[in-house]
Amino acid sequence: MEILVCVKKVPDTADAEVILRPDGKGIKEDDLAFGINEWDNYAVEEAIRIKEAHGGRVTVVTIGVSDSEDVLRRCLAMGADDAIMIDGGPFAGSDPYGIARGLRGIAAARAYDLVLAGAQAGDDGFGMVGPVLAGYLGWSHATLVTSVSVEDGKVAVTRELEGGLEERLRLALPAVLTVQTGINEPRYVSIMGIRKVRSKEIPVLDLAKVGLAAGSVGENANVLRRIALSVPPAGKEAEMIKGTPAEIARKILDIVRERGGVG
Amino acid sequence: MAKVFIVAEHRQGAIRDATYELVTLARELESKFALEPAAVVIGHGVRPFAEVLSRHVNETIMVENEALADFRYETYAAVLRDIIMKETPLVVLCPQSAFGMELFPRLSAETGRPCATDCVQVEMDGPSLVVVRSIYNGKINSRLAFASSGGYLITVRAGSYAPAAEADKAGTIRDYPCPAFGEPFKTEFLGYREAAAGTVDISQAPFLLSIGRGIKDTENIPKAEELAAKLGAVLSCSRPVVDKKWLGKERQVGTSGRTVKPKLYLAMGISGAFQHLAGIKGSGTFIAVNRDPKAPIFRAADYGVVEDMFKIMDALKEQIGT
Ligand SMILES: Cc1cc2nc3c(=O)[nH]c(=O)nc-3n(C[C@H](O)[C@H](O)[C@H](O)COP(=O)(O)OP(=O)(O)OC[C@H]3O[C@@H](n4cnc5c(N)ncnc54)[C@H](O)[C@@H]3O)c2cc1C
Repeated sequence: MEILVCVKKVPDTADAEVILRPDGKGIKEDDLAFGINEWDNYAVEEAIRIKEAHGGRVTVVTIGVSDSEDVLRRCLAMGADDAIMIDGGPFAGSDPYGIARGLRGIAAARAYDLVLAGAQAGDDGFGMVGPVLAGYLGWSHATLVTSVSVEDGKVAVTRELEGGLEERLRLALPAVLTVQTGINEPRYVSIMGIRKVRSKEIPVLDLAKVGLAAGSVGENANVLRRIALSVPPAGKEAEMIKGTPAEIARKILDIVRERGGVG
Repeated sequence: MAKVFIVAEHRQGAIRDATYELVTLARELESKFALEPAAVVIGHGVRPFAEVLSRHVNETIMVENEALADFRYETYAAVLRDIIMKETPLVVLCPQSAFGMELFPRLSAETGRPCATDCVQVEMDGPSLVVVRSIYNGKINSRLAFASSGGYLITVRAGSYAPAAEADKAGTIRDYPCPAFGEPFKTEFLGYREAAAGTVDISQAPFLLSIGRGIKDTENIPKAEELAAKLGAVLSCSRPVVDKKWLGKERQVGTSGRTVKPKLYLAMGISGAFQHLAGIKGSGTFIAVNRDPKAPIFRAADYGVVEDMFKIMDALKEQIGT
């Protein structure tokens, strides 16, 4: 199996303060911690497991600038064989269509059997790059994949639906799968492991190398145009319980007792 | 008049609730911006669904075919492509669900019509469609416009619009011919698989202590279990706790887990993603503990505590002990 995994570096915003840039078109990134998109990490692990079971190669690709290199090295340390960086400069501000077009150049040019990607990313959360890429390529696809088993020329997957239900599908190869969290337990990456892949060469491809003309991606080529970002309007806010932890605990227990809890 | 189409979502013999939220949105687009709503029902044996929808909108387009019995993007996208090209709706709506996520981005690539997923608000600004999306873990809203197109595909986040109440319109049902498919198919539906039943049923618990990624480490799980026991609560959790295998899937609250309706929901270290909150819609009193004052969960909770959850857990244990 020749597998391509699409990964992205994203900021952790769940556990951090998110501040708008003065121009209202983006957020301040300086104080945020960045790492591999949570869904992509599971996708990389799944690709490596498929390779371990069936042979082949795993290539990871990102559209990013030089500061995304650490994410690619992390994937190499996990067990990916090759990494490719598509120069993200011209893609700045791209919508999912621009990103999918950039990835199409790689996926189409090399004979991959499978392309894996995260089901969505923790920043924009469009969940579009995978299925749009599959549409561009004319390949089969499945989103929200929770298991993969390779058969002869095909792949059987489960997709997560709602309420604990899953569906089972069989897809013709080549296929694009977008991976849901929890599909596996991603392996731990040690500092030693990263050191070992420190000198591995990572080619950087420009637009021409992925078959795109200048100006065909990036903010000005977007189909989805960001007008402005804003902080969500305050809706119904919770009544805040304040005090020392002991005082807060007492108030919580009062509510628990009021609601018939044991407390 | 420009049209807005609702793609009805159904599974295992029932229309899914999110469809009725789209009805509300389509009606709003009708009253505010004079778009004409219609429903699209695709499947096999779906006349009863078409009948239900015909009580909500003037026209329901029904595509009935054996090959459509089980949802696959391949066949459903082919049908929608045909409908979109012939009927040229300005807006086509679908729930942001496993169904919509599988179908709409693909349909967009195949039709060239722009798609925006997971929208929480949809409106017209003059002749242009504008949507709002909630990004960066619900901390930022993003307003998006589109490059000009003959039509737009939109998936809508569950809970963004109230579900439409029962209606009694006498709308028409139009039998729409199923287009020919470009066989052989590349996808094959094999069947459904139900999650294995666990040892607890959190959906019946009157009091849930629910922990999220803030619990940080598997080593801290016993602390939460101990507190739950002392409180007389059942322990539940958000998805990352299950993804990491720290607790079983049967304890997960949310769209892809269980729907719960306890009298009291005490959430700790949970940020308040919509997929989580959708699982506790019918709950009674909701207390959230989170160290981030901007956590979206405080917009849904009745009571909020901005504090380290471990301090609160320890203090609770002490208070109960005395
Ligand atoms: C298709 C799909 C289905 C999904 N289904 C579900 C579902 O059913 N259920 C579900 O829960 N999620 C679901 N999710 C995932 C969901 O989008 C969120 O990623 C998830 O709910 C986040 O869980 P969390 O709040 O525990 O973690 P995070 O979002 O990472 O939040 C952790 C929170 O803990 C706080 N915190 C950290 N440390 C402490 C501390 N010491 N004290 C106090 N607070 C602390 C942080 O401030 C933060 O707010 C689904 C996602 C997708 C794409």
